[in-house]
Amino acid sequence: MAVTATPASRASGAESRGAGIELRGVTKRYGGNLALREIDVTIEDGEFFCLLGPSGCGKTTTLNLIGGFVEPSEGTIWLRGKRIDTLPPHKRPVNTVFQSYALFPHMSVRDNVAFGLKMDRVDRAETRRRVDEALALVGLEEFGSRSPAQLSGGQQQRVAVARALVKQPAVLLLDEPLGALDLKLRQRLQVELSEIHREVGTTFVYVTHDQEEAMSMADRIAVMNHGRIEQLGTPFEIYRRPASRFVADFIGDANFLDVRVDGDVAVLADGTRVPCRRGDVPGPGSLMVRPEALRVGDPEAAPNGALRGRVLQSSFLGTRLRVAVATPSSDAPLIIALHGEDPASAPAEDAEVAVWWASGDAILLPPDER
Amino acid sequence: MGVGRRDPAPAGRALTDAAVTAPTARPGRRRLGSAVSAYGAFLPAVLLLGGFFLVPLGIIVVYSFWQVIDYNVVHHWTLDNYRYFFSVGAYVTTMWKTLLVSLVATAIALGLAFPFAYWLSRYVPRRLRVPLLILVVVPFWTSYLLRVYSWLTILGEKGVINRFLQWLGITHHPLGVFLYDRPAVILVLVYLYFPFAALTLYSSIERFDWDQLRAAMDLGATPLRAIRRILVPQIRPGIVTAVIFVFIPILGEYLTPQIVGGTGGVMIGNLVVNFFQAAEYTRGAAVSLLIAAFILLLLVVFRRSLSAPEAYGG
Repeated sequence: MAVTATPASRASGAESRGAGIELRGVTKRYGGNLALREIDVTIEDGEFFCLLGPSGCGKTTTLNLIGGFVEPSEGTIWLRGKRIDTLPPHKRPVNTVFQSYALFPHMSVRDNVAFGLKMDRVDRAETRRRVDEALALVGLEEFGSRSPAQLSGGQQQRVAVARALVKQPAVLLLDEPLGALDLKLRQRLQVELSEIHREVGTTFVYVTHDQEEAMSMADRIAVMNHGRIEQLGTPFEIYRRPASRFVADFIGDANFLDVRVDGDVAVLADGTRVPCRRGDVPGPGSLMVRPEALRVGDPEAAPNGALRGRVLQSSFLGTRLRVAVATPSSDAPLIIALHGEDPASAPAEDAEVAVWWASGDAILLPPDER
Repeated sequence: MGVGRRDPAPAGRALTDAAVTAPTARPGRRRLGSAVSAYGAFLPAVLLLGGFFLVPLGIIVVYSFWQVIDYNVVHHWTLDNYRYFFSVGAYVTTMWKTLLVSLVATAIALGLAFPFAYWLSRYVPRRLRVPLLILVVVPFWTSYLLRVYSWLTILGEKGVINRFLQWLGITHHPLGVFLYDRPAVILVLVYLYFPFAALTLYSSIERFDWDQLRAAMDLGATPLRAIRRILVPQIRPGIVTAVIFVFIPILGEYLTPQIVGGTGGVMIGNLVVNFFQAAEYTRGAAVSLLIAAFILLLLVVFRRSLSAPEAYGG
């Protein structure tokens, strides 16, 4: 279904770069509440793009803006070079998979999937062919005549995906579609969704609050907080080089130490000087170290600059050993993740230990702006 | 006999064991006994249903085929009562008028109840819903008679409307047009039966998943097409139920026509009352049975919509 450009957009001179989706200066206000603040983002054609953040960060609002269910208070939205923010949902080549699936209970699975084609007045033979294709894509070929109520949660989810994809939209929006499913099913569907994405090549915009989900499926992630995009990058970039304390804390586990920078060295609250990557954060900040980057061991054998502490707790979590160490250099205990260690050789509780890390593994972050 | 076990099993298991190892002697007596204990609980309901419903219904059926001669019911089988009813033009006209009034009142009641139920389930915040629903139900705590009578004080010559119009200067003497005719009957019936329609439609609409409308529009349906293809089919059972809950009772109404209907608003229920008051029991019974048969026909035709899952959960 083509989006026709209006003469106005052609003449405006502000041509887009022909990318997939573009949000330019998009702001959304609900009464006195600022849900989105001047969002500028470009989603590449065909990528699996994730909007990640806690409740209320604006990710669902962003999705609804792309889908056409709300209008921006300011700014414009573009799709493949054409402006779409003035179009109602049924005129945009965008389809949505809803969190609650929103299947039509009074229709069979086939009729559900065919609904979009029916609205476009596609002829019977073509509809049947495309519905068959869509059902095969999600592995539900045998379920065509069933009603949604006869399906499990995972199957309903697949029908919702088939129904949205059968129209071959330019963009598929997914609003936390796996939230209602149990862990194993969620993981399986994550893999399936990735496969489907590779197969159809449609741009996927996926909203979730589950960082593991985002990391496992997305090409790029936009981490959002309070209506702003705090960081945009690949899962690797976001994990290894978080731009802010919020991002570091939201993705994976993180240890934070309040520090003051003095050249190449960070000075902790209690005066201990520890190595860090030379950053461009002057003044006070947060030193962030991932649990798996921390080393723990005998105080005698520790390198210079190591922190002293006492083991609070040692837990065996299957994939790793989690050790919590209380140190005077930090209010919160340091969390260390040891992989492949025999639980028996882990530090005993209440033992005096030293904690250190490689200077390249510590990231200096600006303090939270509030 | 094995009613109980000899080994010291805990109480619960002994109970199950006892049930499993029932006494083997005299099976017939046992079956009767268990049947009585299983179905005996139904006895009060059976007596109630039988005594106060089936028996009177049976009497009416039987009476409708008998005759009244000199104020006495004579056990003489005949179709004369029915023949008589259809031979009097005024009676047949009343029958059609009743149908018309019922249809119009039902249509208006539903026409008002649907927007109300839609507004209530879509736009009213949850915490205000129950109070509003209670307000809809509160009139039922007043006697039905009082509620009908109160309309006399609104529509009558000395009533609120007339006084208001005179005060405004639009009229200079009271108008009798608001009362004692069919419009007044329809008005009061709509007032009386609106809660039934509103509550039924509300419970049907309230279950609707509004996300489905969004999904429909997302897939290319205009808002109107979405409502027509997605909302209406799913609340149709609720609509039919509401119609039944309103239309059928209105068919049998006689008090409201009697109080506010005058001569123009006579309904078939009034005919039944008149017959009985004139000791024409058999004719009254025949007309009653005609009404009941028609209602039964409606219920049979719409029986699918009367299944609770269809109406409330479909």
